[in-house]
Amino acid sequence: MSVVKYIGRTTDFRGKSLWEILGNLRDYGVGRLIIRNKFQRYEEPCYMRILKVEVTPHDPAKDPIRKVAVTVEKTWRGVINPKPVTIYRTSYKPDYELIPKEEESKYTNNTKKVSEQILANSIEFPPLLREFIRQETGVKEPLMKVHHKVNHNKLTRLAKEGEKPTIECTMGLGTPASPKLYEGVL
Amino acid sequence: MLRTTTGVLARLTINESKTSSSAFALEFVRWRRKPRWLPVAKSKLYRVPERKEQNAEERAELMRLHNNYKLQMRSLRQYLREEVLRLNVTTTADHIVLTPEQEEAEFARCMQENETWNQKIAVERNERLLKERERQAVEIRERLEAARVREEERMERIEEIVRREKELAKTFITHENLETAIEQALANPVDYNFSIDLQGNIYRGRTTLPGGKGTPATSGVQDTEVQQTIEASN
Repeated sequence: MSVVKYIGRTTDFRGKSLWEILGNLRDYGVGRLIIRNKFQRYEEPCYMRILKVEVTPHDPAKDPIRKVAVTVEKTWRGVINPKPVTIYRTSYKPDYELIPKEEESKYTNNTKKVSEQILANSIEFPPLLREFIRQETGVKEPLMKVHHKVNHNKLTRLAKEGEKPTIECTMGLGTPASPKLYEGVL
Repeated sequence: MLRTTTGVLARLTINESKTSSSAFALEFVRWRRKPRWLPVAKSKLYRVPERKEQNAEERAELMRLHNNYKLQMRSLRQYLREEVLRLNVTTTADHIVLTPEQEEAEFARCMQENETWNQKIAVERNERLLKERERQAVEIRERLEAARVREEERMERIEEIVRREKELAKTFITHENLETAIEQALANPVDYNFSIDLQGNIYRGRTTLPGGKGTPATSGVQDTEVQQTIEASN
């Protein structure tokens, strides 16, 4: 009984590259379900259904990694992308996994959605600037606009007029993510 | 790491005060590192860096603090940027605000001032142009005179050449005096041979001996003949 021992850097990826999976399937696996293991940390379903596979030229002598252009219908955190997405640049990552046909329902029946998160619109000023503005304008608690980053797959939205945001923005420390770390300090 | 150098280079550097006293200077090499483009060092070829274990709680908290800080700074920067833009639009600190009538009057005054300047400059310019024109006229006249003189000299030189040629033409051998010229040449054969002794005396003629009949051929008998023949052949 031989023992297999891996040597080298550890990785967060688990699985195979896209070509390793699709190259062995009939019709290049069109219609099958593929997942990225990196995204399985989310509770909401993340999977891709293959629509089209385009094999690209490859010279193993020049470049050991093999890429393939795959057009997929992408579902990420329970949201189905309205347009098909082409995966090419990330197709070499050994992080894909093929889902057997009988297990596909486990992903497709998962109807969990991201709960709606509302971002705060305004934030208070830092202490010294606040004092200056108080002296100049006489406003007791001046507020400035929050500059949120714009992102193509942001699942949050800005608070509307008179709405209570679920994610508060403060100039202070905020509520700790791990209160254990602050035991005896705060 | 230390590197030994001779004092010459070290004296040029900033550690002059420290090292100039010793002839054999020590120089500290601080930023010594393998350049990026060199391959992995042999001793590091099979090294597998250990992956640091991260505490999940700590990581989450640090991430939150980092995001919080970035959001605060981004918001503040945006606020200040907008503030500066607003100030630029509304402030009157760096320029004077005028009513339209004042602006009109100011413009008219500027135009008038410009007009006076233009007139003053026009007078100066006309004077200058007049002067320049006179100077140019004088220059052209001088140049014409110089050209005339030059042309006269040239014509004189040509006249001179023609006169000389005409003089020479009298000695030319023509069809008429060809016979006499030949006869004269046959009657007076020219011997260009000569010998020279250690004193530098020249003995003209092929058969002339030193101390013989020819003597040093400075007598000039043949010289005139040679001269004549050369001229005749011309």
